[in-house]
Amino acid sequence: MPAAPRFVSAFRACLGLLALLTSSSVHAQVTFNKHIAPIVFEYCSACHHAGEAAPFALMNYTDVRNHANQIVAVTKIRFMPPWPPEHGYGDFVGERRLSDAQIRLIAQWVSDGRKEGDPRDLPPAPQFDEEGWRLGPPDLIVKLPQPFHVPATGADVWRNFVMPTGLTETKYVRAIQLRPGNKRVVHHANIVLDSTQSLRRRDGADGQPGFPGMDVITEARSGTFDPTSHFLFWKPGTIPQFEPEDMAWKLDPGTDLIFNLHLLPTGKDETVQPELGLYFTTRAPTRLPMLVQLEHDGALDIPPGARDFEVRDRVVLPAAAEVLGVYPHAHYLGKQMEAWATLPDGSRIWLLKINDWDINWQGVYMYRKPVSLPKGSALEMRITYDNSDQNPRNPSHPPHRVLGGNRSSDEMGHIWLQVVAPVGTKEDIRPAIEEAVMKRRLEKYPADFVAHYNLGAMFVSRGEFAAAIPYLEAALKVDPHDATARNTLGGALLENDRLDDAIRELRQAVADDPGYLNARFNLGRALAANNDLAGAAAEFSAIVEKTADDGDAQWALATVLMKQRQYEQALTHLEVAARLKPNDADIQTNLGVVLATRGDFSGAIRAFERALEINPNESVARQNLERARKQLESPGSAPRS
Amino acid sequence: MFLLLAAQLELVAPHGEKAAVLFFIRADCPISNRFAPEIERIYEQYGQRGFDIHLVYSEPGLSADRIEAHRREYHLGAPAISDPEHRYITLAHIRATPSAAVFVKGRLVYDGRIDNRFVSFSKTRTSGIQHDLTGVLDLIEAGKTPPLRETRAIGCAVEEVQ
Repeated sequence: MPAAPRFVSAFRACLGLLALLTSSSVHAQVTFNKHIAPIVFEYCSACHHAGEAAPFALMNYTDVRNHANQIVAVTKIRFMPPWPPEHGYGDFVGERRLSDAQIRLIAQWVSDGRKEGDPRDLPPAPQFDEEGWRLGPPDLIVKLPQPFHVPATGADVWRNFVMPTGLTETKYVRAIQLRPGNKRVVHHANIVLDSTQSLRRRDGADGQPGFPGMDVITEARSGTFDPTSHFLFWKPGTIPQFEPEDMAWKLDPGTDLIFNLHLLPTGKDETVQPELGLYFTTRAPTRLPMLVQLEHDGALDIPPGARDFEVRDRVVLPAAAEVLGVYPHAHYLGKQMEAWATLPDGSRIWLLKINDWDINWQGVYMYRKPVSLPKGSALEMRITYDNSDQNPRNPSHPPHRVLGGNRSSDEMGHIWLQVVAPVGTKEDIRPAIEEAVMKRRLEKYPADFVAHYNLGAMFVSRGEFAAAIPYLEAALKVDPHDATARNTLGGALLENDRLDDAIRELRQAVADDPGYLNARFNLGRALAANNDLAGAAAEFSAIVEKTADDGDAQWALATVLMKQRQYEQALTHLEVAARLKPNDADIQTNLGVVLATRGDFSGAIRAFERALEINPNESVARQNLERARKQLESPGSAPRS
Repeated sequence: MFLLLAAQLELVAPHGEKAAVLFFIRADCPISNRFAPEIERIYEQYGQRGFDIHLVYSEPGLSADRIEAHRREYHLGAPAISDPEHRYITLAHIRATPSAAVFVKGRLVYDGRIDNRFVSFSKTRTSGIQHDLTGVLDLIEAGKTPPLRETRAIGCAVEEVQ
């Protein structure tokens, strides 16, 4: 052996002596088994084990020794374990953050020669169920039918997959588990709910499953106020957990799940085929959280070279609330993120601070204890951006002007907060919060389509149709060809008994987007209300020809046909509707009526009995059941319906 | 493809060749692996022009079968060298993978990053905008003998010989 290593050893021995002389706090003998294994098992192994996303396992002495220098390098700069939030600016569940002492200990272990130590000191390694469903067999598994190809090299891939659930009745979801299928490729994922199937039109347009895009925007369902309530987020190391018993989230039939995936090229061709397991509960939620968004993307006009471009936002809570979690989001120019609450007395509660935003390590952070805020507290955010050449993540070289938008070359700046009414609150605070958020949005963007539309849609959902109409009309002044807004306006006018206006607006919505089936449905309703039964039947027929599994359209068409006394045709659609909506008492009642008109009293009795099973208070079904039974017992004793 | 053992090999700057290029990689290093298509591109392009290009695996306990499997998995065409004793790691002053080293007539003229797409572990560009390695190779091809240049490679730290 050459002399150099002996010299190094001697030098190390001197350093060790010096350390002993100057610091009594330094461990005399740092070993893997006693000192390092507990740190690695707690902070590293969840991602660094076979089958997980991390590139190598850290589950035993050999694993750790073989990556010791690397571990020292990445812990020293706090790249690993990844935990972007600053300590002391929000107290989060599962904080994966090493203390300075732990980092020093790892470095000392390596410099002291990576000793394994006494086997009796070694704690048991954590156990991981690699491929299984960690909460047991899910009630529903939704899986991408065919794999998606990820190229070996190039920019990160942002892909969205539209996943119908096939549900025929509303379910309440207590937990989900995403199995990405290829954890080294899937960097993180968001699940977005699309209750109006508005994204199906984009699915597969480029010949591959799904469609591209860093962010997805879905349409709200009109007629109900059902804001997004939960962070449905996955990143490596995520351990699926049940929501509290009283906070399940609702999944309606027809709602599509959008898998929004951030995919990283690995250097070789890869495929992904994610699947999502859902766990249901029969218990409807009694606590209803909602996600509040702070943003000011309209102010994002970042000149090239700007190193500290700043945006802010502020929303005042109209009711006392608890903040349960936070999800920050920006793209590649994001630099520093801050969120806090200013209480009515002027004091500040920090909600989040990230000094070096990195889109590759975004995550949802849940507070250990809900952050209680009194009525009148302001939720505030401040985000800065670096659009200079000094920012290596800047996708443009040389830098160019960047505006707000959802392409990866655009920017965003969002702080999402999950808020809920304090325990014991009787009123639903969500509509008031939504109103506050949207009115704040109108302050930011006086001619903003989204703010006007959302306020209109929110009033529609509250049944305040007259209040909704001016907002929807204002939205359409901004974008006269938005079929969604025009459909919602048509629906509000219809509910406000302005039939002619409603029909005019809905006809225009259909003309703007002939494939927009929701608009056709509302137009059918308006025409039926205006006694144009043939016109209504034509609209509903157009829908069921396109999507035979639309239970509402089948039911509406059957109803119109019944009014036209076309019972045979109505029966066909009623039977389909009854199959698609097996728990709808009205459908069963009308099915019974049509069967009775055909003389099928046994069938009619079954339908009326089924209607009463579903709703024992269905008086029409009860009366008809008696009449049908009498008719069956003594034909001719009761007139036909 | 036979696996070359560094201890048995005198490949640096073979006579009659323009230069020897060594890519230091690690099979379980994600940064190395993300560079695989670029390493293969350089091998295809510059290997045809007479540069003698090898991959060097130095991680402890890596079997010949595992090296071959890694080459196949990442479509790496260059011949591989196993360097568990860190003969070439030491010779080329390598501290992290992936790194590249270039020798001309036995003299080290470049060691460091392949390009500058990685600025730190967490800060990366979509692709490199400064192609340090191919810049050196182009100079050599143009008949110039560059002085020693060293750059800092961002990647997985080289571990101790075991």
